Amino acid sequence: MKDSLRQSMALFHTWSGLLLGWLLFAMFATGTAAYFQDEITRWMQPEVTGSADPEASAQGAVRYLNKVAPDAISWYITLPNGRSATTQVYWQPGDGTRGKRGETSAVLDQAGRAITVRETSGGFFLYRFHFDLHYMPVLWARYLVGIAAMFMLTAILSGIVTHKKIFADFFMLRFGKGQRSWLDAHNVTAVIALPFHLMITFTGLVTLASMYMPWGIAANYASPSVFQEQVFGREPAAERSGRAQPLVDLAPLMRAASAGWGGKQVGYISVTNPGDATARVLFTRSPGAAIAARGETAAFAGATGKDLAAHTASGAALATESVMIGLHTGRFAQWGLRWLYFLSGIGGTVMVGSGLVLWTVKRRARLPDPARPHFGFRLVERLNIAAIPGLATGIAVYFLANRLLPADLAQRPDREIDSLFLAWLAVGLWGMVRPAGRAWTETLALAGACFAAVPVVNALTTSRGFAASITNGDWLFIAFDLVMIALAACFLHAAGKVAQHRAKKAAAPLRRTSRKAVSQ
Amino acid sequence: MAARLLAAIPANYLLTSLATATLARLLWRGLGVDPANASVAAMLASFVMFSVLALVAFGVRSALKLWLWMIGSGAVLGAGLWLSLTSGGRL
Repeated sequence: MKDSLRQSMALFHTWSGLLLGWLLFAMFATGTAAYFQDEITRWMQPEVTGSADPEASAQGAVRYLNKVAPDAISWYITLPNGRSATTQVYWQPGDGTRGKRGETSAVLDQAGRAITVRETSGGFFLYRFHFDLHYMPVLWARYLVGIAAMFMLTAILSGIVTHKKIFADFFMLRFGKGQRSWLDAHNVTAVIALPFHLMITFTGLVTLASMYMPWGIAANYASPSVFQEQVFGREPAAERSGRAQPLVDLAPLMRAASAGWGGKQVGYISVTNPGDATARVLFTRSPGAAIAARGETAAFAGATGKDLAAHTASGAALATESVMIGLHTGRFAQWGLRWLYFLSGIGGTVMVGSGLVLWTVKRRARLPDPARPHFGFRLVERLNIAAIPGLATGIAVYFLANRLLPADLAQRPDREIDSLFLAWLAVGLWGMVRPAGRAWTETLALAGACFAAVPVVNALTTSRGFAASITNGDWLFIAFDLVMIALAACFLHAAGKVAQHRAKKAAAPLRRTSRKAVSQ
Repeated sequence: MAARLLAAIPANYLLTSLATATLARLLWRGLGVDPANASVAAMLASFVMFSVLALVAFGVRSALKLWLWMIGSGAVLGAGLWLSLTSGGRL
């Protein structure tokens, strides 16, 4: 009975892992990058230097918005924190229309001037791709991502049951042993970071839980908006009175809000009916200041600065949910923990990737005719090439495009994103037309070369190359270059390994025949 | 295999949804938890239930027994939910 359970779990693990493995690989890779989304954005805007003061930035943003959108329904301001140096603003136009992206948002510096040079989506794009994908409706993408996450959760659980010697294998990594090595790589990356994988998958589902499992809320609330109001305290905006009254200075209010939260900083500001007597300012605690994702809020009257009673939802389940989302997004993490998040994410990416490769390695030996595999096998092999070296090349090209596209190109952020997908598509097609073994070597080498090119192109096109970063003590740029070089080394090493393996395989039948000749 | 796949994914989702809704009602109306927390607690538990049920669907020996269990518990949960909804409305 025990063995048959293990067998059925192994079967389940193999197929549930394969079916959504490619999507999961992309989610893990971009999600891992997203732990450094602010840093990636800073790298992609090399003209922006130094750090920004949140209070001065808030005042700058208000100056900008007063000029650009004085009669907006509401303003949303994301303040800079220790990691970012820019302010993001977004507004809802007063005429009720939904403006196109880029027309109702801007990135500002501390003084409230729009940053127009080298416009980019930066690390934010990688973060959004992690759960919104691209070129498809966000809603569909989120359902798809949710299904993949649920497969992941069940694949992890069945993997634990399948795995006989989970603790012995903790220390087992045999190199150069073909299938055994792939299995070891899969096991080690899975087991070492197992608590992380379980945590990240479960909390990932929780981030969009009310989309995937709305029935708990539907059972108690006839309309989800009532629930939203109770939990988030989102009041319907008051009608504009028509009596113009300028907004009070936000800096003292920010200090008051922060004092009310035990010194934790303000991260977001929203202003409804700006410039009107009914204006209302809502501060939300910075996500970096505590684990829980649903930050404390404080509300003030915009015209007088009077403290309005802010709504706070409480309760064990809501707090648990909020902490789970915080654990997933890791916005609270300081440097040490952030790198640990990043490395665990890399572990997860390798786990999914090695699992996908393992599927083909295991079956290749059992093929009736290894020279001409059946369609399913070829499909998986090709999709693996498209998914693994393809996405890696795409991300490297995204960084390269940031440096190489003209700085004042129209719709520059979109062109950068297009470059990523064009490179990804090209590698995918390349993998289709070339013999599989050779395609692996070539595409892995290409991914490695593209990552290696990033520090070089950066040094040639900006004044913040590796040497300059070392002399300036610019740790962000030093670390970025080093990660690019490490990734390049890994991919080039992998390409070399595949080439070696192919050479050995090509030589093997020869040796066997020559031995036969000697014995005769 | 098809019976297990059906049980593991669509039937599982239906059953988990029913259980989540019933649990949310039970926590609020039965145990006096405030409705927002009751709903969220049931929602958090639902992912555990779904993933374990999916594994069970492939792990148990008899697919027939599995289906009988699922239909049976679905009927009990459905009846409980219906009773609860008729006895007191939603917010």
